[in-house]
Amino acid sequence: MSPRRATLPAESLAQGARLAARDLTLTVGRRTLIAGLQLEFSPGQIWCIAGPNGAGKTTLISTLAGLQPPTQGVVELDGLCLSGWPGSALALRRALMPQAVRDAFSASVFEAVLLGRHPYLAGWGWEQPSDRAAALDALAALGLSELAARDILSLSGGERQRVALAAVLCQQAPLMLLDEPLAHLDLHHQIDCLKLLVQRAAAGCTVIFSCHDLNLARRYASHALLLDGAGVTNAGLVREVLSAANASRAFGYPLMLIESAGHEALVPAH
Amino acid sequence: MSERQVPYSAGTRPGPQDAVRGMTARRACLIWLALAGLALAGLLASLSLGSVAISWADLVHALFRPDGGLDDEIVRSLRLPRAGAGFACGALLSLSGALLQVLLRNPLADPYVLGVSGGAASFALAAMMFMLPWWGVDASAFAGALLAVLFVLGMARREFWRSDPVEASPRLLLTGVVLGTGWMALISLLLTLAPDRGLRGMLFWLSGDLNGAADAWPGLLVLGVVLVPSILAAPQLNVMLRGETVAHALGVPVGPLRLRIYLLASLATAAAVVTAGTIGFVGLVVPHMLRISFGNDQRMLLPASALGGGALVMLADLAARTVVAPAQLPVGVITAITGVPVFLWMLLRRRH
Repeated sequence: MSPRRATLPAESLAQGARLAARDLTLTVGRRTLIAGLQLEFSPGQIWCIAGPNGAGKTTLISTLAGLQPPTQGVVELDGLCLSGWPGSALALRRALMPQAVRDAFSASVFEAVLLGRHPYLAGWGWEQPSDRAAALDALAALGLSELAARDILSLSGGERQRVALAAVLCQQAPLMLLDEPLAHLDLHHQIDCLKLLVQRAAAGCTVIFSCHDLNLARRYASHALLLDGAGVTNAGLVREVLSAANASRAFGYPLMLIESAGHEALVPAH
Repeated sequence: MSERQVPYSAGTRPGPQDAVRGMTARRACLIWLALAGLALAGLLASLSLGSVAISWADLVHALFRPDGGLDDEIVRSLRLPRAGAGFACGALLSLSGALLQVLLRNPLADPYVLGVSGGAASFALAAMMFMLPWWGVDASAFAGALLAVLFVLGMARREFWRSDPVEASPRLLLTGVVLGTGWMALISLLLTLAPDRGLRGMLFWLSGDLNGAADAWPGLLVLGVVLVPSILAAPQLNVMLRGETVAHALGVPVGPLRLRIYLLASLATAAAVVTAGTIGFVGLVVPHMLRISFGNDQRMLLPASALGGGALVMLADLAARTVVAPAQLPVGVITAITGVPVFLWMLLRRRH
């Protein structure tokens, strides 16, 4: 990865995005996933959303992105309720990487990433040279330059995931929501991806991602939101929230924290 | 900045630069110009060839300085409307196919997949059974198409208006296919009950026939009405191809767009079917041929589909009325017989 590529034009981040959940309640059927969540996500922070399967990570990310309305409460971006944002203006402020993209038609990797520039298109809707440059930068930032001409239907799961991440990066929004960005990636790509998110946060982005690897989250995220799937949430600094006690309770399996050479890891206790 | 281009020029595929540039307005214009040239050549051939061959000089004369002679009459009131109607039908079907393939995110979608043609055909056949005049058949076919659209809208209304990012396409597709199957059963019933002397006309109608096309203007008008909003929506359709969630996140109003595309595609199909019956194959295959050749950017593909489909049906109709002259073949048979091997060749030649 080239750090030079990852720097975005200063103007797109002139103003950091402030996202806030106010009294947010999410239910699915008769199950309450999240009850009365009060939380602010600020520029420079990297939030990891963790929790067992079905705890509502995807539902929460989708709600925070404004794709579905909350059962109760509101989500505010820059002080304005998400339902009051026009879709096109919102797309300039927040980017969302969904969990999986199912493609039915061929397209080159470059074209797929270039779609992230859709909110910037004007006139007849053709890309400007600056849009192409942004897409090439995003490809380079994820080490995908060699694959630019490849057909997306021929990619492996991990490559697809990196293409989706490149498309989100290319959108250059100050709020990034990512649903399981590390899924299907091998370890060194997971770490590359997390380092990229750290760089984005350092450049003033607000980053929120869901993740199953608590140890990687503890290492790279600044904050964490732990869901237990029954309405109870625990939010704060990552090392405090993802403690052995909290994680054991949320995942329903005893975990212990071991230390070696200044590194910590949560491991199953049995 | 200059070294940025270096890694991308070293591709192994032919023309990696094209893939990296994606579609550009310039490239799209060149493709449209080439297809428009093909359509123009098809038009000129359609005007001059036939049971009476008309020379280029006479053709120019008939088009621009008509004096009411026999040649003028053949060109102006027989061949020109028929060629125009053929172009309009092909363009509408091909455009409708391209739109539905995006709407349903399914390469197998064609203009008839959601049952519009079934409704039109059932009503048209019923009108033919009752010996209505041609305008009665046309009006009946249009009413049937409208009814089929209302059925789909009524049953799949949740898919059009829901705001959450759920994949709606499979349910919409299934609703349309099942309703289409119902219409097909009704068509079979009508064919069984129809008196023998009406059967031939009905079968021609079902396989697509431009013989009765008296006027090109309705079709061309609808083509304009459908093409302009489709072109305006093309950048959003590019995003829709990556799925509803991605589209929604990029600021595309997914529900209203889906409804608009469905109505545009249905109107296009209805107009084509009313003009010339159910010409098969064009709407499925022309968009795919263009995709295989030039990529799947909707901004290029939608106008290109209209031009390519129009040219194809116009040329196929020329063949339909000259190959076994003085007898005529249904144009749908020609499009399928020539198109199937060409398409299979293009598909199998591709490496992936």
